Amino acid sequence: MIALGQLGSAALYLAAALAVYSIIVGTIGAISRDAKLLTSARYSSVAVFLAMTTAIVTMEVALLTSDFSVKYVAAHSRLANPTWVKFVTLWAALEGSVLLWGWILTIYTAILALTAKNNILRPWVLVVMQAVQLFFISMTVIAANPFITLLKAPLDGPGPNPLLQNHWMMAVHPVLLYLGYVGLTVPFAFAMAALITKQPGTEWMTQSRRWTMTGWAFLTAGIVAGGWWSYVVLGWGGYWAWDPVENVSFMPWLAATAFIHSIQVQERRRMLKGWNLALIIMAFSLSILGTFLVRSGIISSVHAFGDGPVGPYLLVFFLVLTITSVSLAILRWDQLKDNASLDSALSRESSYLALNVLLLAMVFTVLLGTTFPLIVEAITNNKVTVGAPFFNAISIPIWLLIFLIMGIGPLLPWRKAKEQTVIKNLGFMLVGGFVATIIAYFMGIKKVYPLLTIAIAAYNVVSLVLLIVGAVRPRALATGKSTGSVFKQYAFENKRRFGSMIVHLGVIIMALGIAGSSAYRVDQQIRINYGESAIFQGYELKAKEQFMERSASKISAGSIIEIWKNGKQVSTLKPRINTFGGNPQTIPTPDIYYTFKHDLFLSVVGEFKVGQSYTAIRAVISPIIAWLWFGSILMILGTIYALSPNKKQIKVKAVQNTTENKKGDEV
Amino acid sequence: MKKTIYALLGVVVLGLAGFFIFRSINSSLVYFILPSEYAANPDNYVGKRIRLGGVVEQNSISFNDKSLELNFVVTDSIKSYKVSHYGAPPQLFKENTGVVVEGKFIDGNFKSDEVLVKHSEVYTPAEGSNHYDIEELKDALQ
Repeated sequence: MIALGQLGSAALYLAAALAVYSIIVGTIGAISRDAKLLTSARYSSVAVFLAMTTAIVTMEVALLTSDFSVKYVAAHSRLANPTWVKFVTLWAALEGSVLLWGWILTIYTAILALTAKNNILRPWVLVVMQAVQLFFISMTVIAANPFITLLKAPLDGPGPNPLLQNHWMMAVHPVLLYLGYVGLTVPFAFAMAALITKQPGTEWMTQSRRWTMTGWAFLTAGIVAGGWWSYVVLGWGGYWAWDPVENVSFMPWLAATAFIHSIQVQERRRMLKGWNLALIIMAFSLSILGTFLVRSGIISSVHAFGDGPVGPYLLVFFLVLTITSVSLAILRWDQLKDNASLDSALSRESSYLALNVLLLAMVFTVLLGTTFPLIVEAITNNKVTVGAPFFNAISIPIWLLIFLIMGIGPLLPWRKAKEQTVIKNLGFMLVGGFVATIIAYFMGIKKVYPLLTIAIAAYNVVSLVLLIVGAVRPRALATGKSTGSVFKQYAFENKRRFGSMIVHLGVIIMALGIAGSSAYRVDQQIRINYGESAIFQGYELKAKEQFMERSASKISAGSIIEIWKNGKQVSTLKPRINTFGGNPQTIPTPDIYYTFKHDLFLSVVGEFKVGQSYTAIRAVISPIIAWLWFGSILMILGTIYALSPNKKQIKVKAVQNTTENKKGDEV
Repeated sequence: MKKTIYALLGVVVLGLAGFFIFRSINSSLVYFILPSEYAANPDNYVGKRIRLGGVVEQNSISFNDKSLELNFVVTDSIKSYKVSHYGAPPQLFKENTGVVVEGKFIDGNFKSDEVLVKHSEVYTPAEGSNHYDIEELKDALQ
């Protein structure tokens, strides 16, 4: 019988060979316009996907059956682990993660090969996608092959990093991120195809719009999921620390956000051609640069992926892709010049432009802060880290400015706004912001940034109301229908527009959640004797007793703490410390009492000794932190709504189908 | 004409932004140093947040479990400093273990708000020497 390791390796080699074939045949076919060659290249994209699927399935079979003759399984899995942990161990370490990334890429490419519109762009889109995936597949084969077979299989393995198996969120967060990163590859491939074929118009971006939005939504979900994981697992009660690993996922997100907004200017006004290309190149190459920074071990981070062998590959890939795409853009520079120019500073397009500048300033800040320690160490040999105060000092004002534009931008018409209307709208919004600030101030919020956030949130809510009223009222007046039914109709018929409003509302709610939970966070270490209680922020924490739970894969030890408020018990929390199998690392595992108003977060600190008469816990209150998660869910839902097919489109399709059916009947 | 004005404005704005960013980043740099490095240039770190690395000196740990006050001495075998920390000692915190404490020097004592245990293994000076290899220690702790 053939060993799983050999089967997996063979599948990888086959995938690499097919990708090479597909690139060569696709390129020749595209140049010579040979339909047969192009079809062959398309189907080989599907074949690459099948080969990579074989590799992934093989790895999962090896993991689930604990075949320790496969090196990756021996190094990262463990017999006693529950099945779901075994399953997600695929992406618990470097080699498996790269394999998963490559596989997702082949899914996207195969879907593109089968569904993309048949036009001049398609062959080149596939060639670029294949080139990117060839890089990932060959990196897996050469530098990070998870299928290496061990001559002597161990009887058991150590299991994955305990931090990763401590929460189910870890099963979700990396996959979402990869889906997001790979999603950005598609518009990048379309952009490159547009440059190669000298079609710098809007075709490439309209065709890839769904992919861009999907990738962006996954990236958003992935980043927020990472924050939530940090909150529920890492024991410090926070969700964002400006750690390099977080930063490098944030940078492509910022660039992609700029891109999504900026392409609308090109669609409507045929402007910013070069700019949009630059943005998508940037978004994609930042995702590779980020992966390089955190996977090569040159930047120290709490996540500590360690210095893998993939560093040089990623760096070379980053350089090759950046240099190639930028030179291609320079080569086509004549075509990328804009014919139109800004008519007025008061217009939709100029608000998008301002947003672009601000988002890029954010990218620059994050990039500088993340790489600055490297620069300092290279020059002065000092070891430094850039503290969160730097990132906060720069990014909070930038975000406030972004929100300022987010409110007024959608209210501005294209080309040129009437000053009067703008002043009237701005007046409403500023009054809204002002009133909210006064109310918040008298409700006890005295800090500057939270007040500004509340002001800007109210300003944006008024803006959304104005947008909807502005769209609904004239129609209601003209048709005589009720406002409710016109609103419903508007929401159904303008999914893209209405979806974007939902996303913006989500952003506002998130901003409030972030401001509240960071500015009014209370973080304290408390000692409580068992049988006694301590008061923390209006809660009575009653330490009952120690507990210990054992399962085949882990040992949990912690304190049972009853949460009382106003003489009533509201919850029982069991903060604990987990130990996984033979791994000596102990993982403090917090427990959280969630409410809409705030979260109460308890985590055991210090050494946990059996029989100790007291418990030492870290207690954290984070006001309205739930809003952050809720806001992000709204952002995702809004994107899904914007992407859902329009009623009109469905109707058109239905009509087409019926006519086709009729034709069929006639035959 | 219009273009030159825009370009000039752009340069001024970028210059100002660059200046503020640079100032801001310089003031929020957190240096990672060993006790002997601090001793060589204490003036450099007045009022600044730093990460102090070293080894927990033998017999120096005292923890008051009533008030949750933790005191110990961090050393790189050339120079030692007292560290005071509010909170329970973290997991795996013990004598002769590498630690990084984050905080500030106040009157020659280090006031820490975060203690990170860097390695579980115990540090011992190289044979025939009563000093740690400073470079090695720093690399191991970073």
